[in-house]
Amino acid sequence: MSEAQAKSPYQSPDPERWLDEHGDYLFKYAVFRLRDNNVAEDAVQETFLAALKAYGNFEGRGSERTWLVGILKHKIIDHFRRAVREAPIGEGTDEAPEHNEFFERPEPWHGHWNSAYAPTDWHATPAELMERSDFWKVFNDCLSPLPQRTVSAFTLREVEGLKSEEICEIMSIKVNNLWVMLHRARLHLRNCLEVNWFKHEQ
Amino acid sequence: MALKLYEKLKHAVRYWLLRNLPACQQTVETISQSMERRLTFGESIKLKLHLWICVWCQWYMEHLHIIRDASRGQANKAPDVVTSATLSDDARERIRRRLTNQN
Repeated sequence: MSEAQAKSPYQSPDPERWLDEHGDYLFKYAVFRLRDNNVAEDAVQETFLAALKAYGNFEGRGSERTWLVGILKHKIIDHFRRAVREAPIGEGTDEAPEHNEFFERPEPWHGHWNSAYAPTDWHATPAELMERSDFWKVFNDCLSPLPQRTVSAFTLREVEGLKSEEICEIMSIKVNNLWVMLHRARLHLRNCLEVNWFKHEQ
Repeated sequence: MALKLYEKLKHAVRYWLLRNLPACQQTVETISQSMERRLTFGESIKLKLHLWICVWCQWYMEHLHIIRDASRGQANKAPDVVTSATLSDDARERIRRRLTNQN
């Protein structure tokens, strides 16, 4: 064994150590996106198995964790792809609420904000919110009542930051359909966060 | 006197815009679209004018960006903040067994 090899901590894969060092991290990452403990556990397992197979490609470039997260991201997207294939939708059966009650009905202010639901000043910055675990608890609870596909589309767009076209391909939907889902998810989530988080915080 | 006239005129312009521009329900849809694609020139002018007279929609737009920036920001950081869940002992053991069988 050459000296260089002996010094490298990456000369052979060590899945037991991976599990100890990165298991919980990867699980948390997965469960926030997949919203199901069992599915997240499977994704973590698949990630480690794929990492074992692909170990030759790693070569110790960058951190081991970043490499594993990169594999996990693919596993998460695979899951969304599979979920769509296994549960094709019936027309309009899983639509998020339109929340017409947020807006005035009678003229002359038809379509304008109903003052009971109108947005208020949040006095918050993304940086502050990021650090608040209780905010993310409310965030998750607010997404829960929405249809699975709407939540998946929202997660891929706003958490993973994928492009519209990529999401359409993964979920086999048209872009107009995606935009409607995103709009409804935002309308619902924004109001829910305001009622359940920001009104308590102020 | 001139100031009073100016205020009156401003009020009239705002009122006219409020009655003639797309209402808030349609505007919030445009706001969401603006986060997905480039708005057409017409859409963009109507949105700007609407935001000029409607603080509620201004906040709405600000909030959507706060949600996006916070979500994407935390996605690149330690996920400890977003959930207290950890791998259960069962799952950990199952994965450990699967991995050592592979070796």
